[in-house]
Amino acid sequence: MKRVGVDVGGTFTDLIYLDDETGKILVHKLPTTPVDPSEGTVAGIVELTNEAEIDPSTLDQVFHGTTIATNIVIEHNGATVGLITTEGYRDILHIARHKKPHNFSNYQDLPWQRYPIVRRRYRLTVPERVLNDGTVLVPLDEEKAREQVRKLKEAGVEAVAVCFLFSFLNDEHEARVAEIVREEFPDAFLSVSSEVLPQYREYERFSTVCLNAFVGPKVATYVRRLEDQLQAMGVKTGVHIMTSASGVATAEGAINRPVNTLMSGPVAGVVGGIWAGKQAGFENVITLDVGGTSADIGLAQGGRLRMKHLLDTKVGPYQAMIPMVDVDTIGAGGGSIAYVDQGGIFRVGPRSAGAVPGPAAYDRGGSEPTATDAMVNLGWLLPEGFLGGDMEIRPELAETAYREGPAAAIDMSIEEASMGAVEILTHSMVQSIEENSVRKGFDPREFALVAEGGAGPLFAATIAAEVGTPTVLVPPYPGITSAMGLLATDMVYEYVTTKYQRASQLDRASFQASFEELEAQARQQLEEDGVPDDRMIIQRVCDCRYLGQGYELRLDAPSGDIDDAWVEKLSADFHDAHEREYTRRFDDVDIELPNIRVRGIGLMPELTVPEADKGDGDAQRAVHHEAEAWFRVSGELVRLPTSYYDRSNLRAGDRIEGPGIINQYDTTTVLPPGFSAEIDRFGNIVMAVGTGGSAGAAR
Amino acid sequence: MSILEYELGNKPGPPDFDRVEVDPITLRVLGGAFNAIAQEMAGVLFRMSYSSIIRESEDLGAGIFDAQGRELCESESTPMHIGSLPWYIRGFLYRLGDDVKEGDVIMHNHPFLGASHTPDIAIAVPIFVEGEHVGFAAVTAHVLDVGGSFPGINADAFDMYAEAKIYNGLRWYEEGVLNEDLDRMIFDNVRTETMNRGDLNAMLAACELGRDRFVALCERYGIDVVMSAAYEWMDYSERMLRAEIEKIPDGTYRAPTGWLDDDAQNRDVRLRVETAVEVKGDSITIDLTGSHPEVPTGYNVPFEGSLLVSAYYAVRTVLLDEITFPESVPQNDGIFRIVDVIAPKGTIFNPNFPRACFSRFCQTQRVVDNVILALSEPLPEQTTAGNSAGIHFCSYSGFQEDTGQYWIYLEVNEGSYGGRYGKDAMDSVDNLMANTRNNPIEELDMRFPVRCEQYELRPEPAAPGKWRGGMGIIRRNRFVVDGTYSCEGDRQTDPPHGIFGGWDGLVASCRKNPETSDQEVLHAKVTGIPFSAGEFIEFREPNAAGYGDPLERPAEMVRDDILDGFTTIEMARDAYGVVFTTDAPVTLNQLGVDEDATERLRAKLRADRGAGSLTTYYEGRELPSASAPVSQAGNAAFGMS
Repeated sequence: MKRVGVDVGGTFTDLIYLDDETGKILVHKLPTTPVDPSEGTVAGIVELTNEAEIDPSTLDQVFHGTTIATNIVIEHNGATVGLITTEGYRDILHIARHKKPHNFSNYQDLPWQRYPIVRRRYRLTVPERVLNDGTVLVPLDEEKAREQVRKLKEAGVEAVAVCFLFSFLNDEHEARVAEIVREEFPDAFLSVSSEVLPQYREYERFSTVCLNAFVGPKVATYVRRLEDQLQAMGVKTGVHIMTSASGVATAEGAINRPVNTLMSGPVAGVVGGIWAGKQAGFENVITLDVGGTSADIGLAQGGRLRMKHLLDTKVGPYQAMIPMVDVDTIGAGGGSIAYVDQGGIFRVGPRSAGAVPGPAAYDRGGSEPTATDAMVNLGWLLPEGFLGGDMEIRPELAETAYREGPAAAIDMSIEEASMGAVEILTHSMVQSIEENSVRKGFDPREFALVAEGGAGPLFAATIAAEVGTPTVLVPPYPGITSAMGLLATDMVYEYVTTKYQRASQLDRASFQASFEELEAQARQQLEEDGVPDDRMIIQRVCDCRYLGQGYELRLDAPSGDIDDAWVEKLSADFHDAHEREYTRRFDDVDIELPNIRVRGIGLMPELTVPEADKGDGDAQRAVHHEAEAWFRVSGELVRLPTSYYDRSNLRAGDRIEGPGIINQYDTTTVLPPGFSAEIDRFGNIVMAVGTGGSAGAAR
Repeated sequence: MSILEYELGNKPGPPDFDRVEVDPITLRVLGGAFNAIAQEMAGVLFRMSYSSIIRESEDLGAGIFDAQGRELCESESTPMHIGSLPWYIRGFLYRLGDDVKEGDVIMHNHPFLGASHTPDIAIAVPIFVEGEHVGFAAVTAHVLDVGGSFPGINADAFDMYAEAKIYNGLRWYEEGVLNEDLDRMIFDNVRTETMNRGDLNAMLAACELGRDRFVALCERYGIDVVMSAAYEWMDYSERMLRAEIEKIPDGTYRAPTGWLDDDAQNRDVRLRVETAVEVKGDSITIDLTGSHPEVPTGYNVPFEGSLLVSAYYAVRTVLLDEITFPESVPQNDGIFRIVDVIAPKGTIFNPNFPRACFSRFCQTQRVVDNVILALSEPLPEQTTAGNSAGIHFCSYSGFQEDTGQYWIYLEVNEGSYGGRYGKDAMDSVDNLMANTRNNPIEELDMRFPVRCEQYELRPEPAAPGKWRGGMGIIRRNRFVVDGTYSCEGDRQTDPPHGIFGGWDGLVASCRKNPETSDQEVLHAKVTGIPFSAGEFIEFREPNAAGYGDPLERPAEMVRDDILDGFTTIEMARDAYGVVFTTDAPVTLNQLGVDEDATERLRAKLRADRGAGSLTTYYEGRELPSASAPVSQAGNAAFGMS
């Protein structure tokens, strides 16, 4: 197969091409085009296929990961959303679950109130009410609905969500209002709860459906353009987009339910990090993917992805009731802007200069001091050592940004202010890693930190020293680890239907029919994707709980006909699973099955990469520059003679002692004083974390 | 062994333990592991349990404790639960002494021996490492029914024996073997056997998980290292809190006298709450002397399991606010060591045995609210204006012919926060020590014969202030079969207190069949009121108080408040002195501030008046109607008008 993985981040678009037959791998990187990110994506594919000397029409798969939806939520710059909901229940989104995020705080914010997805003025109600059996208590007032839709249109909203109680049992009222929206306000992006998420629990559903509307217009525009342009250049397979659950969505699926792609990019980063770790011999990894705008942090023990519990699935502070890999995103990246706030507090991020206008030193219109500029000032980033010269760095602009910005505001030297900015940003990443590791009982000393993204290797050493991971792993192409993850994953589709039956009274025929229907859908999708029969796996999954419980366990279900033996086997498996999960079993209690699911998996060829050339152990050959750079050693800011290595000239077996800076096409690795590094047989930099000095650890 | 000889509030003091040195990374890892165990225990409990009060509302707590009940860690569930577990443990140890064996499962709810109140049952499992008893894994959770005089809630019980079945250090399992007769005794004497059994099994599973996780930690790091780290973390929390107390100028700070509505029987007697906070060096004392004498109903407060917990909570939350305080300080025994509480014997906050004390939450919330108000004098930037500090905690119930058991639905109706320095308050959220989740409406309607017909912000405006007070909710629930309703609530007469020129808030109200010919105003505390199929209840929860002079609120923010329905054009004029260019009905985004007129009006108001009160503003007026189409259709369906 000829495959392309494209990962669009806030700052860069990364691509990888793989020909499974010949083992040929090419990587490519270009700036993200924020106004229309599909431009960069398409340009990248053109450049990459040119480089591979193939016609785009011969590609078998284009697999895409994107942080577009995530960034919209984090930067809170989605569409202006209006909500049409049931009269008498206007504030479901405002009340949420009436629970505070923090027990011991009178000064916390409730994000759903302080930064609402739908402002209260745009939450309008109409008379209607469906009851708990799907019957209608209050018929829909269509005239009122029309009036409210017009009001929203006049007010200038861009997207309309329609959320009524019990619409998962009877969708007629929602469907009718959807029609009215299409008539009155055809330009609005429409998000209807019974279509997007036909599941009970109104707050979680409304929140998810409104998030869908919030990110919808931008994501839909993007995916449509991308699909059109790929078609125009002859790509026949269409584009597949990674979902938050590490499955895939077709373009059509992503346009209708953009909410499912919210964690697409970050999840690809975790998958790529796990793959990189396994290859280098580390089964336990903490993945740190730092781009221009945000940092994604994941953790995998024993090489396995961890899924979030359904009630913990959030994007930023907002509830999204969709299956999601456990990955945490914070607003910290190379483009994070440093500033001194009104109270005199030095802060960095979450506002980012992104790709445009970008860091001051890039001279692309940005003048505010970013983390990248700080690293230029510290001597970690060289004018000529970046992107193989594609992108020029002008140090004097970075210096000006800090001299006139934070350095002036708090009366510090430029280097002190620059190091301060790096340390503040590092601290926020350290906190997030701790929340995902030590606070969940994982000992970071048993993990390797995988540095990913354009900026991950710049921060990784300092962070590892603070968190306590003994090893940092920098893969050969850190910037394209997420894109690599896209090629390291299988194609997984999941189909679900609600059954609400008890094992004791299971309607075997209806279960049989439902499973067969879902299986046919999965098979058809995989066939459309060109997956041959022998690479196809169809799995059944049941959500099960003891009758009376409120939360389900997800259980692999037996294949074959739904008969007494099937029910018996499923029941036995559930009792075992419940005992494993909760230490107890109740063999005489009936089992309830709210949902059944089918997973269609298209197995992809295993991702293998060639080994690196072996060297003589002397890294000196790779030194392309000697200069002084700033580091923190035992609390003091010092200037040390530092070697700069060209990574393309490093060979397997080479050893480097810090301080050192390793430059490559898509990133720069900082090796602080006291750290050492060795190149393994796949070309990974395996860094032993020092204890004495570090880049910024000793605060 | 007599209950009369039990010494209240007796803390175990510093641990008698030879600590070993723990390196900083291990210390942080173990601190994180303790926290993770508590969270995991709570997770098992709410995911596995049966009753919605546990699995949806998370009215539960979980943690690990040393053999004397010193808390190592607690789950982030409901704060009211956890600080109480150390007292449960000391309470049942008073009964059991050293007779605690591996495999025992202990059940306890005695309100005069450490329990928070009788329906919050604790399950504790002793932890043994290398044959030595080193601690307990324990949880509490609110079970639906404990066999009191009425289903669910008993605010007016005559004494402790009438409010619940008492479990005093009972061994449900002895050395791993079920005590079968006791098991029958327990579950034959509650109205909701299946639910209680499911919930208690989940509690047991959570404890066993906590025990196993803790034993695994000890096997890996060594018991000495683990316990040393635990005690280091307690010292750390104590140090951090003491350093913050030290920063408050020494002195006695008083809250305005607070008034509770009544004791659930004597409707014309309000109950006095006096609160003084004494700060001296790095110690702090909450003194409730002068508060009302104990009452002949269930409206007294267990001293250990409830009152002390509220004092810990108030002090910690103001001084080590999780968001504004830069370091993350774990909640453990270190916090509890510091705070002293004086409540004279024979008052509602320290009742004599065997007074009933089933309903204690609103009183303890008022203590927290008062401590915050008292501290607003020395700490204006860390405190809030008066909070709702009350709930309507209610029980809907009926008998099911088909199962021979009762159905009981317990609901916590949330309040709101007072305005605070630099930002507006939190609306419609569990207040202070309450932090439960609401039950999804779709869950409620599908599981119980109760239908929620309205749930949104109440129609009256927020309490004005430079930073406005929080908005409470309006909620209507209709019985669709015949049933019984009980409630413990408060704050229907004494509004949340405004500070620094902010307005007092708006009191709560509770009505049966409002806006029909059968309308009836209900007291906050009622027991066993019959509801026929079709009858319904309406709650309006307090709008909490404002912070600072409303004339200082920028006019643009007042404009936004109007567009979002947080205030009205009239209130903008009367309280904020803001005038608009149009009096026409507000359409979205069309409302201009008349700046000159606003300036003139504000100058006049500044000269004329002091702070106001929303409650006074609405006195004598009909509550604004909130009768939505769903409510009207519900009335019609049941022939009500």
